[in-house]
Amino acid sequence: MRKEGWILPYVRANWGRCLVIIGLGSLALLFAAGLMFTSGLLISKSALRPDNILMVYVPIVLVRTFGIGRAVLFYAERLAGHDTVLRIVSSMRERLYRILEPQALWIQSRFRAGDILGVLSADIEHLQDVYLRTVFPGASALVMYAAAAAAVGRWDLRFALLLALYMFVLVGILPWVSLLMTKAKTKLAKTQKAGMYRQLTDAVLGMGDWVISGREAQFLADYEAKAGEAARTDAKLRAWVRFRQLAGQCVAGLILLTMLVWAAGMHADGKLPAVLIAAFVLVVFPVTDALLPVSEAVEHLPRYRDSLRRLSDLEGEESSVKGYENGQLSEDQAAAMAGGAVHIRVDRAGFRYEGESSWTLRDISLDIPQGKKIAIIGRSGAGKSTLLKLLEGALAPGEGEVTLNGVPAAAIGEHMPHIVSVLNQNPHLFDTSVANNIRLGSQDAGEEDIVRAARQVKLDRLIESLPDRYHTRMHETGQRFSGGERQRIALARIWLRNNPVVLLDEPTVGLDPRTENELIRIMLDSLQGKSLIWVTHHLAGAEHMDEIVFVEDGKIVMRGSHAELIENEPRYRSLYQLDRPEALLTKAN
Amino acid sequence: MDKQLLGYKGIKPVFAVMLLLTVLQGVSILIMAKGLAEAVSALFAGAPLSGQTGRIAMFLGAFLLRHGLGLLQQRIGSAFADRTAAEVRGRVLRKLFRLGPRFARTEGTGHLVTLALEGTEKFRKYLELILPRMAGMSIIPWLILAYVFFRDITSGVILLVSMPILIAFMILIGLAARKQAEKQMDTFRVLSNHFVDSLRGLETLKLLGQSREHGASVAKVSDRYRTATMRTLRVAFLSSFALDFFTMLSVAVVAVGLGLRLVNGQLELVTALTVLILAPEYFLPVRQVGTDFHATQDGKEAGAVMQSILDRPAGGPADSDGAPGPGADWRWTPFSRLTLSGVTVQHQAEAYGSAPETDGAESGREAGADRPTERRTDGAGQEERSPQSPQSPRALDSASFEVQGMQTIGIIGASGAGKSTLIDVLGGFLAPDAGEICLNGTPVDSLAGEAWRSQITYIPQHPYLFSSSLLDNIRFYSPEASREEAWQAVEAAGLAGLVRSLPGGLDEPIGAGGRQLSGGQAQRVALARAFLSDRPMILLDEPTAHLDIETEYELKQTMLRLFRGKLVFLATHRLHWMPDMDRVLVMEQGRIVEEGTHSGLLGKGGAYDALIRSQMEGVR
Repeated sequence: MRKEGWILPYVRANWGRCLVIIGLGSLALLFAAGLMFTSGLLISKSALRPDNILMVYVPIVLVRTFGIGRAVLFYAERLAGHDTVLRIVSSMRERLYRILEPQALWIQSRFRAGDILGVLSADIEHLQDVYLRTVFPGASALVMYAAAAAAVGRWDLRFALLLALYMFVLVGILPWVSLLMTKAKTKLAKTQKAGMYRQLTDAVLGMGDWVISGREAQFLADYEAKAGEAARTDAKLRAWVRFRQLAGQCVAGLILLTMLVWAAGMHADGKLPAVLIAAFVLVVFPVTDALLPVSEAVEHLPRYRDSLRRLSDLEGEESSVKGYENGQLSEDQAAAMAGGAVHIRVDRAGFRYEGESSWTLRDISLDIPQGKKIAIIGRSGAGKSTLLKLLEGALAPGEGEVTLNGVPAAAIGEHMPHIVSVLNQNPHLFDTSVANNIRLGSQDAGEEDIVRAARQVKLDRLIESLPDRYHTRMHETGQRFSGGERQRIALARIWLRNNPVVLLDEPTVGLDPRTENELIRIMLDSLQGKSLIWVTHHLAGAEHMDEIVFVEDGKIVMRGSHAELIENEPRYRSLYQLDRPEALLTKAN
Repeated sequence: MDKQLLGYKGIKPVFAVMLLLTVLQGVSILIMAKGLAEAVSALFAGAPLSGQTGRIAMFLGAFLLRHGLGLLQQRIGSAFADRTAAEVRGRVLRKLFRLGPRFARTEGTGHLVTLALEGTEKFRKYLELILPRMAGMSIIPWLILAYVFFRDITSGVILLVSMPILIAFMILIGLAARKQAEKQMDTFRVLSNHFVDSLRGLETLKLLGQSREHGASVAKVSDRYRTATMRTLRVAFLSSFALDFFTMLSVAVVAVGLGLRLVNGQLELVTALTVLILAPEYFLPVRQVGTDFHATQDGKEAGAVMQSILDRPAGGPADSDGAPGPGADWRWTPFSRLTLSGVTVQHQAEAYGSAPETDGAESGREAGADRPTERRTDGAGQEERSPQSPQSPRALDSASFEVQGMQTIGIIGASGAGKSTLIDVLGGFLAPDAGEICLNGTPVDSLAGEAWRSQITYIPQHPYLFSSSLLDNIRFYSPEASREEAWQAVEAAGLAGLVRSLPGGLDEPIGAGGRQLSGGQAQRVALARAFLSDRPMILLDEPTAHLDIETEYELKQTMLRLFRGKLVFLATHRLHWMPDMDRVLVMEQGRIVEEGTHSGLLGKGGAYDALIRSQMEGVR
């Protein structure tokens, strides 16, 4: 797949706007120069004491026009720049979303560490600066450069070339040298900062351990040393910037001196009227002021590299992961399945991740006719998640079959969300109203449907008590809704969706026993008649399941109903005793 | 002006030097303008270039001096800022350790890390900018103005009048912009968070079959965000527009005025040129202040936040920094006795304006879009929290009990009953607001001292794994332990199988940057730490509830082995631990409501029975 960049395509797509911005920007710079030039001209002409004030009328008007115009142009340029950049950000965001969307089911497992999604989103924000701080001002300064050289060229071509060379030091050589000088240090500063970030995170998240182990002082000393190193790198960078600024000013002084000598010489030769001497000298100030910031604009470039790399890496890997793919199932078949009974069969299915030698799952057989409830129990890494992915059709089995009414799960593709619902550990509640969050289950649900769904999950009274009831924004309820309540909102979505099959992926982890029990009861009540496949870590509710399956190392090691397992399996009995308070009572009696 | 500023060490001499340099800079600007104006007007009058060498040299010398002085000034400011910011950061970090993990949890990990890192950087920038800007503003314009008055009164008046107008407009527009931004704050928050929110909810959307349609709404909302932002920016940019406009206008008015008076013969060219060169310089300091306004403001705020942390009263450890009270023997032996009487902790919720006491307070704050580190921890940590405001205003309400020697004590109760608070008090993370703690009969201020803590191993629900090797993680409490000793701890903790399966063995990197361990494995690493450090006291806060039942079963066996011959406080809502405990404390709404052994409490019809019953309800 051809990789698209993250900068150029957007300049191309918005070239009209970019042109306007650069036009406005360079015009603003030209006006600033014009102000000084005409001012010099004006007072020189006036010093000749013309008889009529009208002789200096044109410069007077120009001085005022340039003075006011510059501020207006600059204001317009900034607004246009930000507007365009926000447009670009908009399309970048949409693009990022479209890249991530197909791999949605894998994001969690792929980016387990850290908040990569937040980072990617920040990367896009960061890229705004490429335009605002480098592309636009840089281009405007270049236009200014060309204009200044061309203007002098009208009087003296050779001097114009000399001047162009001098100015090139400011717009070309100095930025280039600056980039070379700072590149390595900028990179080092970034690494050092990342190290400090990691260390600090360790300190804050592991603070209890630091404090109790009595090693705070050691940490602080370590960190201070690291921070000192980083500060030194930073100080070196800043020292270079200071030096670069001084060097730039020296070049500016040199340009001014050359200009003065040239103007005097031209005047002596009678090629330049006296009134223009002051004008040419004064105009040097605004022109060099316009060119000096180019170095800084260029110095920023290395800072975007990481953001750019992260974003383009994402696209490179895009093809290697898959989500629901376009299935072979027709619209009608899918609708029939969604509306009726679904019989799930897992027949000696096995799965092996690409490039791995051992099977993650092997020889798994399940028979789940419509309405059957089964619990799957196993340690982390036993293969439970992979089994769910097989049932969701997100993975196709390497051997054996996983079918829904005879259709391979992986072939159902994008219709899967209409047949199977999933409640996982961390359902996302969106920053919108409570009602909208529930409505995600079914877009055409009316007000009453949502109230009924809330009643099903026993949240109606809590929601009624909120300031805006169903229209309260989730953000404001964030503090109010506990883990169990958040799960129940997600459950309301599933209830509303009314799919025949529901996969429950450890929805009760982290809840206290009472809340856990409550949620289990609400789940069982509200999902009556559905096929339930419930991955769980506790045995609460096990009695209500038709079958309990223990998975270990990718194989089923124990299965049966609660009664059968209690009867036949001592291991199950001991686990059950551990988990359920009933056991404590019986043991004591 | 920032009053805090004058309090920083060594600021006065630095500022004095800064002022002196600024005066010199101002003088060199005047000389520069004078030299250039005289040279140009002489050339204008027809004098040959060769006669102007002195003036040109004067100009060039002044020009270089001016920029050289600027460099020196920046360097001094920068060094001062480095020093001061590093010092403040060090103090903030030390304070954070004193405030302890509980404070870090309520404040939000991501927030604190960002503050210590980005906040210090912003604050440094502020210190670096503020001194030269203040010096510049207080000297340069007035020096130039005085000189202009001396040369040409009319121009001086124009410049003098335009300055307050310019400043007044900037302030007015700034206020208007802020008002508008505030008005739109809520809309802004929603719109700007929408994208991150969408990305984080992508899996949920996908499972609901709506992820594809949502793509359109991403673009739509992003566009609405643009419209709203532009509306604010139109006003916000006006303040720099005003700055620009009035400066340029003022320069133009001065120029035209000079021209007119030249025509009338009231002025000489050299004066006019001098004034014209000086006019932009007159406005330069105020323009710099305007350009740096946001950076300084940000830095000032960051400084204020850090100061507020420094000003926060630290519970206990600040005062009794580990120094054992007279006569107190902190070592815990089989004959030691710890007595708590009437120990009370007010609710932290009021103090920090955050969620009530819970084990997983962080899960409620998912809305915070820019807190990367926080997300890392709350992946599975959705702990049940008491939904409404707690009935008891006290997290711990006059807890009284006595323990002697080595025994295991189970602390049981529903979420929010105060189990974690009690553990935090025992660990010295939290200073009680009232009540008395006695060690061997001697009252002690708090348990926050080093001497007490060095007796303790603390095992939370989600033990934190440092980004380091497995070995370093295991040796965290006792860094001097040998590999062999570490290996013994690994075997005792039941980690040997895992270590053998790792390609790097004990040196395998784990934590954020390395291999991810499951909850059970992480817990075993914590157990290995405990085995290795072999401290006489263990505090555990809900160590197994989030694990699958089989892992929990196995871990329990390992833990019971670890507990032998130690003083153990185990806070949990998992009842199965209780039969194995020597003593059970039952907690309810911050109070210890029942105390005894499992078999003694069972069937008494008290709080313990009620707790068992409440856990049985629900599914039945």
